[in-house]
Amino acid sequence: MVAAAGLVKRWGQVAALDGATFEIGAGVTGLLGANGAGKTTLLSLILGLHPPDAGSVEVFGLDPGRAGPEVRQRIGYAPEHDALAPDVAAQDLVRHLAEIHGLPRREATARASDTLWLVGLGEERHRPVGTMSTGQRQRVKLAAALAHDPALILLDEPTNGLDPVQREEMLALIRRIGGEFGVDVVLSSHLLDEVERTCGATVILDQGRVVAAGDLDGLRTGGTGLVVDVDTQPELLARRLRSESLEVTVDGLRLVVAGDAGAGADAVRDAAADLGIGLRRLQPRTATLEDVYLAAGRAPAGPG
Amino acid sequence: MSDARILDRGYRRYEGPRRGVAGAVGSLARHSALRALGLRRSFWAKLLPLASVGIAYVPALVFVGIAALLPDQLRQGSDLLPSYAGYYGFITAAIVLFVALVGPEVLCPDRRHRMLGLYLASPLTRDTYLVAKVLAVVPVLALVTLGPPLLLLVGLTFADAGPDSPGAFAADLVRIIVGGLVISAAYTAVSLAVASFTDRRPVASAGVILVLLVSSVATVALVAGGASERLFLLNLGAVPFELVQRIYGERGEMDVATVELVLANLAWTLGAAALLRGRYQRLRVAR
Repeated sequence: MVAAAGLVKRWGQVAALDGATFEIGAGVTGLLGANGAGKTTLLSLILGLHPPDAGSVEVFGLDPGRAGPEVRQRIGYAPEHDALAPDVAAQDLVRHLAEIHGLPRREATARASDTLWLVGLGEERHRPVGTMSTGQRQRVKLAAALAHDPALILLDEPTNGLDPVQREEMLALIRRIGGEFGVDVVLSSHLLDEVERTCGATVILDQGRVVAAGDLDGLRTGGTGLVVDVDTQPELLARRLRSESLEVTVDGLRLVVAGDAGAGADAVRDAAADLGIGLRRLQPRTATLEDVYLAAGRAPAGPG
Repeated sequence: MSDARILDRGYRRYEGPRRGVAGAVGSLARHSALRALGLRRSFWAKLLPLASVGIAYVPALVFVGIAALLPDQLRQGSDLLPSYAGYYGFITAAIVLFVALVGPEVLCPDRRHRMLGLYLASPLTRDTYLVAKVLAVVPVLALVTLGPPLLLLVGLTFADAGPDSPGAFAADLVRIIVGGLVISAAYTAVSLAVASFTDRRPVASAGVILVLLVSSVATVALVAGGASERLFLLNLGAVPFELVQRIYGERGEMDVATVELVLANLAWTLGAAALLRGRYQRLRVAR
């Protein structure tokens, strides 16, 4: 879907992208990085809005710099900041942008209405955008990105300014778009848990460089140690394991045992049998996205 | 009657044809033109543009009324009616006001509300976006630069005070269209170029009026002080109207050759267009 090699983009003296190389496939892909990591610049290069200073990017196998209109006709884009005329009704605005993306007027009208219903703004679709809440305006942007039935949607920090409930709803909607609707999504976010819960793959950017990229399952295989769920007395089991020089942390009825998974599993099994503690789960620990992020030497942001 | 409603209609794929860049340009031009006129907007958004259009047509209606009510005096060679070129003297203020409203309205809000990023994320490019804006402004300005003399021509013809042959009618019609488009094109380029310097509509409107006024006052003062008549070619408020007078075979107050006028008008129009394009090529979008 999107492939970049050695992508460099500078704004004055600042290198927003510094040799970024990655591929984005089908499904929902997270573009993860702290503010200023180069996410928005990368989206603008994918859209062909600015030429790269070096390197190349291909979208649908085309160079967006040369085939911009053809590429952008198949992309929906929801920018980070408010980008909507405040005195225009949501329905008119979404219809207008669908027309701009090539839909005939009648089809654009029907799809604008349908899409606003899909994002939960059916009842509000005739209200001017400027009278809407932040959450509603984020949904209008999502509807505008979706209405012309793109092959790929680029969402730049779509949960910015949303309260926790609205955020959950927005992420559920994005999962639905990538799954049920069959539209591929690139979700740009600085929030690690958002990407982890919503995306099947990720590209992690740090200061313009790609520090990790790929399927989340693949990235997580770098984990070490064991996860142990017990039915009772986790502290008792932890003390026993520590006495055998194992590093153990306890979280409720879950223990995480660091170190080699094979040797640890034997120790846990034997200790649990000796102490009469029932094991509900005993499996190798997979790395979280946070581990991947930390391995790259960066601290991720928590939920906003 | 049931209260049941379908709240989620599911997602439909669209397999039909797409209209491409030309369709996008047409859609944006239509949308921008309607906004410039305040249509589908609040009463206050409609007030000034529609009032300017109205003011531009009032003299034409009055003259057509005079022609209908006093046909004998007109036949006796009375000077009651202006020439088509002279008609612009009655509506210059309305045209300037309209120009100052329309250009900024079409361009500034897209940058102020960041809609420009959404437009450029569509099949439109920076150049085709500007083409759409020009295609929106030229016909809207033609409402006041072309419409009133056209109304005068048709009205006088029906009142039996217009051209006396089909050939003369056609010649006047062509002059009116060319003259109206000359003024529209020049002021479209100038107003959009000025509007490209700010995203605040009122500031841009004031800027347009200032540019037209300052160039007029300064050149008139300099020529009156003994400078070359050619300085009139810098008078943005007068050059297009003077050229229109030449199109009708008349001369205004400028003592310069018609070729120089044509070149000056072209230079102003193309220069302003180049400035506009340069500004938009350098804009950073998508934030």
